[in-house]
Amino acid sequence: MSSTALIFHIQRFSIHDGPGIRTTVFFKGCSLSCFWCHNPEGRHAYSEIQFVASNCIGCGECVYVCEHHAHQLKDGERFYSRALCVNCGKCAQNCFSGTLELIGKRMTVKQVMDEILRDSAFYESSNGGITLSGGEPCLKSVFIRTLLEQCKQQNIHTALETCGNYKWDKLNSLLPFTDLVMMDIKLMNPDKHKQVTGDSNKRIITNARQLVLTDKPIIFRTPIVPTVNDTIEEFSEIVDFIEELIELRLKRGKASTNDANIQLELLPFHQLASDKYKHLGQDYKAAQLIPPASEKMHELAEIAKKHAIDVKVR
Amino acid sequence: MENNTYTYQQRIDALRATKLKHTQEKWDYIGVLDYDDYALILPPVEYREKKHLVSASGLEITDVLYTKFVPKTNHPGGGFFGARICGENFGKMLEIHPVYIDPFSSLAGSFMMILLSYRDPYWNPDFNFSHLENEHKKYKITLHGIGAAQHFCHDMTIGFELGWKGILDKIRHYRTLNTDEEATELYDGLEDIVSGFQNWIGRHAVAAREMAAAEKNRLLKQNLLEIAEINEKLVSEPPTTFREACQWMLWYQIAGKMYNAGGSLGRIDQFLLPFYERDITAGILTDEEAIFHIACHFIHDTSYIQLGGPDENGHDATNKLSYLVLEAAHRLKIPMNVGVCVGEKLDTQLLRRGVEILFEDKTGIPKFLGIDVTSKDFTKNGYPIELGRDRVYCGCNWHAIPGREYTMNDCVKLNLGVVFEVAFYDMMDDKNTHPSVAELWKRYEYHMSRAVDIIAQSMDFHLDHMFQVFPELHLDLLCHGPIERGRDASHGGVEFYNLGLDAAGLATVADSFAALEQRIEIEKRLTWQELTDYLKSDWAGTDGERARLMMKKAPKFGSGGSLADDYAIRVSRLFTNYVIEHPTPKGFKILPGIFSWALTVQLGKDVGATPNGRHAYASITHGPNPEPGFRKDSAPSALAVAVAKVQPGYGNTAPMQIELDPGLSRDEENIEKLMSLIKTHFELGGTQINMNILDKQKIVEAHEDPSRHPDLVVRVTGFSAYFASLSPELRQVVVDRIVTSE
Ligand code: SF4
Ligand code: SF4
Repeated sequence: MSSTALIFHIQRFSIHDGPGIRTTVFFKGCSLSCFWCHNPEGRHAYSEIQFVASNCIGCGECVYVCEHHAHQLKDGERFYSRALCVNCGKCAQNCFSGTLELIGKRMTVKQVMDEILRDSAFYESSNGGITLSGGEPCLKSVFIRTLLEQCKQQNIHTALETCGNYKWDKLNSLLPFTDLVMMDIKLMNPDKHKQVTGDSNKRIITNARQLVLTDKPIIFRTPIVPTVNDTIEEFSEIVDFIEELIELRLKRGKASTNDANIQLELLPFHQLASDKYKHLGQDYKAAQLIPPASEKMHELAEIAKKHAIDVKVR
Repeated sequence: MENNTYTYQQRIDALRATKLKHTQEKWDYIGVLDYDDYALILPPVEYREKKHLVSASGLEITDVLYTKFVPKTNHPGGGFFGARICGENFGKMLEIHPVYIDPFSSLAGSFMMILLSYRDPYWNPDFNFSHLENEHKKYKITLHGIGAAQHFCHDMTIGFELGWKGILDKIRHYRTLNTDEEATELYDGLEDIVSGFQNWIGRHAVAAREMAAAEKNRLLKQNLLEIAEINEKLVSEPPTTFREACQWMLWYQIAGKMYNAGGSLGRIDQFLLPFYERDITAGILTDEEAIFHIACHFIHDTSYIQLGGPDENGHDATNKLSYLVLEAAHRLKIPMNVGVCVGEKLDTQLLRRGVEILFEDKTGIPKFLGIDVTSKDFTKNGYPIELGRDRVYCGCNWHAIPGREYTMNDCVKLNLGVVFEVAFYDMMDDKNTHPSVAELWKRYEYHMSRAVDIIAQSMDFHLDHMFQVFPELHLDLLCHGPIERGRDASHGGVEFYNLGLDAAGLATVADSFAALEQRIEIEKRLTWQELTDYLKSDWAGTDGERARLMMKKAPKFGSGGSLADDYAIRVSRLFTNYVIEHPTPKGFKILPGIFSWALTVQLGKDVGATPNGRHAYASITHGPNPEPGFRKDSAPSALAVAVAKVQPGYGNTAPMQIELDPGLSRDEENIEKLMSLIKTHFELGGTQINMNILDKQKIVEAHEDPSRHPDLVVRVTGFSAYFASLSPELRQVVVDRIVTSE
């Protein structure tokens, strides 16, 4: 059997995930659980039911097909119990109103490739390509290795968007087929990191240090999240670390050029994901956070610039 | 004497404010305008009167009559038919048309009336086509082409060379050579028009002098004197300076609108170029002035123009003037119809500038033309590539060879949704048939071919009689042949006849076929009879609604690799091949296109519920576009791939309509990405792109209350218009496109 992966979306004409016009493949499952996550569909490594109650037309089909009695219609009222649901997806297959949808589809490498190739003309004309994202794509390293390999055979530029939280070997095994790595650096304090993401940043920091020893172009990405890392102090720690990484790379001495090929991107936290949490029945702990103003973003970017870091606000 | 001076931008702003005021008056008086902003100005209050009519494009239009003008009739049932009386009436119209001069403009003239509106009935009942009407009704072919006016293109250089006296001399010369009745009548009509033109222009010269005498401001006074001088000359002489050429062009163009609502113009950056270069070399023109004169033209004329593109040898003909015209559009920010050519060998700077302006102005201007594809595809009809390159963009979705080709473009539409519906019930009502998608396809094929046949016969009928009904007197003047041969362009006057026929509702049909195959034949979720009952009841009840959503949710054309994607290609191929293989019975070539103009709402009213989950009488899909929301991400690249694949490919177009994320910021990276989206669509075979980058918030506000943003301009389709002037239904179509394309 060919290997498969759970994918929750393949976005064509993706223009915020790397250079040019890209197709971004979103994998399900992540090794962190950042409380502000913008892609809650990507957190769990299993398919799950998205439930948008307001779309329901009350046809009763879901009640009829669910063997686990997770759906009920009583006196015109609509009930769905996640506790009873085993995410088999049967109801979603019979619901056409957009109320029930199974998020996460098992796909083979070939299926994903077919979708990727539809836009190959655009990659070529725009110097774009594909980006693997999630969730955390590297958790499916065998699958994505094949995928990346096939993209390279087709001369498609490949980018990995990763949280960096896993053993170095995983990432290392993918690098021969990866043209660009986009790695999140969220916070330097390991305890707080654990508190807000569910895990310490130890492996991330090690992996980042390993990564700069290769010659891959890198974009480090920092989501700017109030209460997490938006103070000057916390952000400066990140900047110091990036600076250290740049020095590390330059010292390592591909030094005919001064260009470390390392960029920093700052992504403002936003509230666009709040409905997704609701529809997936996940607890949204960032509901009260106020997105950083663009002045704030630029103020932080200035700090990075002072350290001669190539920084961009997204 | 006042010494206030005004910058060119201040003068443009003043002209723009006046235009907005005129537009506001039109809204108040006429109401909805679901078509191009014609730049018409209302006649004086005491002489205006409303009239309702149906345009050549099939749209119901409220028009304004100038009550002082009463056309002569020459038919017992009323109306006026034939070259002689049309010429006489139009000449008369020009003679009594009120003078219009704005002291801020460098050019005189505007228009307040359209002869078309005075035609009642529009067709001479002596030429009876009741033998065609049964099938017109059956397939709801309202745009069959009989009586369709203009929609081809003149050659402006003829006018620039001859001037009005030269044109008159030419008519008089050929009158002595062609003496048959048809020619004589044509010449009579043409002569009347020319003297009408001369009178009209001459009266403006007189008025400009009078205004100059009364004008207090030194700069405006000087301007009015210049207008007077220029027009005194243009009454008979051809233009020699850039400004004169612009003035000549404006007279001719607005007269085209006045005669039969014509709006083709073509390669303005080519035919004005010699004037521009000469004046620049002579030191009597600056670029700022050139931009200003062009702007003064477009304030009063929304004709369709092409910028850039190849010369006949395929070399890039983009020039300085291409940029200046684009710049004029940018400064005006009013509805305009500017097409920028994109091609392998063409200057990409013009494309870049176009994209920048699209980002900055958010008016859907310019649009983009896949000129390599359209010119090369045209050769498939047996024409040399040089002719293909000469075939200029000059109408909503269309191209024509200036002065040499009669096209009927954008006038004849086949609603594929109706064909599908006829085929569907034909099958379901046949008790001897077991319904299946294959059987339905067979019947669809049959009915489509019948509908095309009947259209072809209608086109022949039109070409037989149009010259006796409402000949193309205005365009005849600047075509190669009509005067020389004594034949109207619609009746053998020009060299080439390639008649445009556009299919509409492609995705509605493709998605319907696919949904049937998916839900009935593959998944067996319902039977043919059940579906038919749902359609007939327009999906009544909860069961009906569930069935509708089920059909609607089947993968759509545009999603990529779906059944519907395959059907869309099949539907397009079937139509294209049949049209190409079947010229009219009299042997005229028909060129297939896919385009529904702004008629998606109206054409939808002819089609009951369809198996793609569409409600009865709701809009059909737009041109070759997938249905809005065709993919979860509505990816522009997915759209571009899909639309490129369904191109008919014989030189006529299937324009992609695309609405882009208004949040897209105008940075270098996004400009590059958009440029490559455009280029790639054309490389894949696309022919035209109508693109909006809109401020969603503003659109939603303006939809609720149009008066909040009276100057908001959107690209509705091939044409752009003030959003506030559209009907609520058409505004809704635009809003839906944007909201679902996030
Ligand atoms: S199947 Fe869907 S629309 Fe029908 S009752 Fe269930 S959730 Fe609602
Ligand atoms: S996914 Fe399966 S278990 Fe869950 S509600 Fe739907 S049918 Fe029941």
